Amino acid sequence: MKMFQTVGRMPIGLTVPAFTILFVVFGIPIILLFFTSVNAPAFSLANYQAFFSHPANVRVLLQTIEISIVATGICVIIGYPTAYLIVAAPKHLRVALVVLVIIPYLTSALARTYAWIVILGDRGLINHMLLDLGLISSPLPLIYNRTAVYIGMVHIMLPMMILPLVSVMMGIDKSLMAAARSMGARPLTAFWRVFFQLSMPGVRSGAVLVFVLCLGFYITPAALGGLPDAMLSTFIASQVSTSFNIARIAASAFVLLAVAVIMLSMFGLDLSHRQGSAGQPARKPWLSRRSPFGALKRWVNELLTPIRAKRWIDQLYRAGGDSHWPKIVGTVFVLLVMFYLLFPGLVVVIMSFSAGTFLEFPPSGLSLQWYRSFFGDPSWRDAAWTSIQIAVAVAILSTIVGTLAAYGLTRTTFPRLRGFLTMLILTPITFPVIVVGIATYLGLVKLGLLGSNTGIVLGHSIGAIGYVVVIVSATLANFDRRLEDAAKSMRAGPFQTFRRVTLPLVRPGIIGGAVFAFLHSFDEVVITSLIGGLSIRTLPLKMWENIRHQIDPTIAAVATLLMLLPVLWLMVLYVTWWRSKLREQPALLNSAI
Amino acid sequence: MTVYIRNPVSLTEVNALEQSAVPAQIEFRKVTKMYGRVAAVKDLSLTVRRGEFLTILGPSGSGKTTALMLLAGFVAPNEGDILIAGNSVAAVPSYRRDQGIVFQSYALFPHLTVRRNLEFPLEMRGMKAAERAARVDRMLERVHLEDFGGRMPSQLSGGQQQRVALARALIADPPFLLLDEPLGALDRNLREQMQVEMKSLHKEFGITTICVTHDQEEALTLSDRIVVMRAGRIEQTDAPEALYDRPATCFVAKFLGEANILENPGFTVESDAAQPFGTVAMIRPERICISLPNAPKRANADQWQSVSGIVDEMIYCGPLRKYHVRVGSTVLIVREHVASEQQTFRLGSEVRIHWLRCDVRFVSL
Repeated sequence: MKMFQTVGRMPIGLTVPAFTILFVVFGIPIILLFFTSVNAPAFSLANYQAFFSHPANVRVLLQTIEISIVATGICVIIGYPTAYLIVAAPKHLRVALVVLVIIPYLTSALARTYAWIVILGDRGLINHMLLDLGLISSPLPLIYNRTAVYIGMVHIMLPMMILPLVSVMMGIDKSLMAAARSMGARPLTAFWRVFFQLSMPGVRSGAVLVFVLCLGFYITPAALGGLPDAMLSTFIASQVSTSFNIARIAASAFVLLAVAVIMLSMFGLDLSHRQGSAGQPARKPWLSRRSPFGALKRWVNELLTPIRAKRWIDQLYRAGGDSHWPKIVGTVFVLLVMFYLLFPGLVVVIMSFSAGTFLEFPPSGLSLQWYRSFFGDPSWRDAAWTSIQIAVAVAILSTIVGTLAAYGLTRTTFPRLRGFLTMLILTPITFPVIVVGIATYLGLVKLGLLGSNTGIVLGHSIGAIGYVVVIVSATLANFDRRLEDAAKSMRAGPFQTFRRVTLPLVRPGIIGGAVFAFLHSFDEVVITSLIGGLSIRTLPLKMWENIRHQIDPTIAAVATLLMLLPVLWLMVLYVTWWRSKLREQPALLNSAI
Repeated sequence: MTVYIRNPVSLTEVNALEQSAVPAQIEFRKVTKMYGRVAAVKDLSLTVRRGEFLTILGPSGSGKTTALMLLAGFVAPNEGDILIAGNSVAAVPSYRRDQGIVFQSYALFPHLTVRRNLEFPLEMRGMKAAERAARVDRMLERVHLEDFGGRMPSQLSGGQQQRVALARALIADPPFLLLDEPLGALDRNLREQMQVEMKSLHKEFGITTICVTHDQEEALTLSDRIVVMRAGRIEQTDAPEALYDRPATCFVAKFLGEANILENPGFTVESDAAQPFGTVAMIRPERICISLPNAPKRANADQWQSVSGIVDEMIYCGPLRKYHVRVGSTVLIVREHVASEQQTFRLGSEVRIHWLRCDVRFVSL
């Protein structure tokens, strides 16, 4: 008993509620799932053998990895220059651009996937225009193929790539580039030798994040891809709906998980982004430590020395005509990326006011009929109401539990333990979502909460707690603990100190966490579809069904309403964050990931 | 080639030197730099001679950093021209200039070791690996960091980082060195130590150095010549001692050390020289003596002016005491070195203060 009291008084004790929920809903079930997959206690690899013996399964696995790699690659190629240009932009423009990236990030993935159906569909925007112009006689097959999958996936993942990159790049001291140039490095050399190297942590964590999330992608490939573009999640989901041989499903889930875990441990995911400490070369993951390129790079570098020497002498004190081309190209590039990120949303908003009866763009007339159909249909209304109730409950539960956990974790004096526990608490958002869904399904079955609102709240909360912990920890990391000592010196008790000093200062982080928790729940469709049973229809579930079966513009009206949400939330964040200090923008970005 | 101006020289002497045989290395010709509608630097003309240690001193917003940025090639002037060794560099980007810069925050590359940091400028100049290594070794030895070549900058102390930054700026033998608030980030003791070290490095390398700072002590200790800037213009240029001893304006007098500006003091300020029009009398606190009201008269009493006043405040600062003495409506600061048998004057007591008439200076407002 005494031991429990000591533990309870230690900061780590504050993480107990979070870990209780995590273990009961997700942790223990996933271990059970693993035992099931190896047929414990008999222990055999039969299920895995079965998985790998079907060439179709292996093909889907390889395809999943391939699609994820390609999508991640595209995200890096588009995201890196975009982030660079955002950081290079003047302050006000930079804030505006970051907001424009965050808006699609906060918009429902379903709404965005729907937008691409509208744009790429047989009667969608592009085909309609081309047909009207007489350039084609029959619609081009733009949708239900691999390209459409990439377009949709990159669209959803790009903000995840850009935001961590912007956050890391903002932390790079501008005088370093000036220093490089003053020592004779041409702009491209300075960029490559200094800026690029220092931005690598951002590329690494952004790419790993995107890759792992891509692995678990379910909705976009299923909605935009054709039959041959199935990903492992789609495959697992269909296994769930058809057979429900739990051992087989478990084996597939663990194969997917293994790929994700291998990537995570190889490249290391640093969600805390503590680049503030002068870019210290902290613990590096093994891949960058022994780089085989090092020797090659040095060799190429030596080859370049005579050229450099000659150029140095030739060009010393030569006036340089500053070309305008990079600026023009950069502006056009950013405009294109912003167009890509925001245009689909715009299309959906316009669609929602369509007077036509089917999916058609541009609409032949304007009306509010689809809003009427949304508000008039009790099934839509009920779904929306259910979603709001669940999301509010999730926001409250996970904000309280997550804030306590974040507080406990940052105050823990053992860095190893802190790292390990943080990693554990983030598993529901770093593991492929379908795996989390199946584990949660199993957990809720054991608890007898399957198909209940409580069950869904718990299922959403395990992920939401992760978001809250990330965001609140980022805020607490910037928090000056001497302020607490100051309060204590003025005879404030621990509770008073927390309430009067700590809480007001970390409130922006807590509100941000609550917003993300709400959105996480309000947007969640994969886990919900597994644990909702037949009785509960949340808004995303209803939308998902609608997208798969009928695709009428009611969904455009819903999506438009959902897009108002991030704008609303951004205003909440603006009031709490930007008003307090624009200097804390990196903190916001850190936490946005 | 190295010329050191150690003795105080008057403004006219300096001007004469400017036209002397010592070649000008850097020249600003009526340079103006606008940021929007604000002129950060206005009509700046300045000549820096080879081997000279010149400090640009001024409060923040005086345009001193802009002057440095112009010289480094990070910004281009709107008007006027800058010449380096006879080349017009107004339109030359930074990377085509041969220069060494020590940045305020040192700007050491955090992802490279000390050794690789030092190699960087050599690499950019196309030097071969073997030669680079030899140079780096020599330089590390010179700044007493032989054992630190393999360290990352974050593993060094502030003073060591400063030395690496200085070494990196000097390693490619640039014709001149730019220092941006070089000692600003160091604590007091370390700063004094580094001042000495930098001075000896300057002597050793004989390199033309332009330093930008707002720290008057740094400027006075290190420089051959100081340029005081205010609101984008040069207020005064002179050798440190001359600048301190004979400030031209009230601003310079106050910015460099403490000054008693006697504008309508309520008593006649006697002086050997006639007061030029548009100037006020100024006397440095350490040139004023303080004594009891009934103290015996000094020798050569005719060379002294004395007034009586009341001690308003006494501030003890270690080696010296500062008194605020009220004479009529004027308060004069008196600075006196603390000697063992010396008496202190209590608050409110009447005292006599006196100064040599030749110590009175006239500064324009």
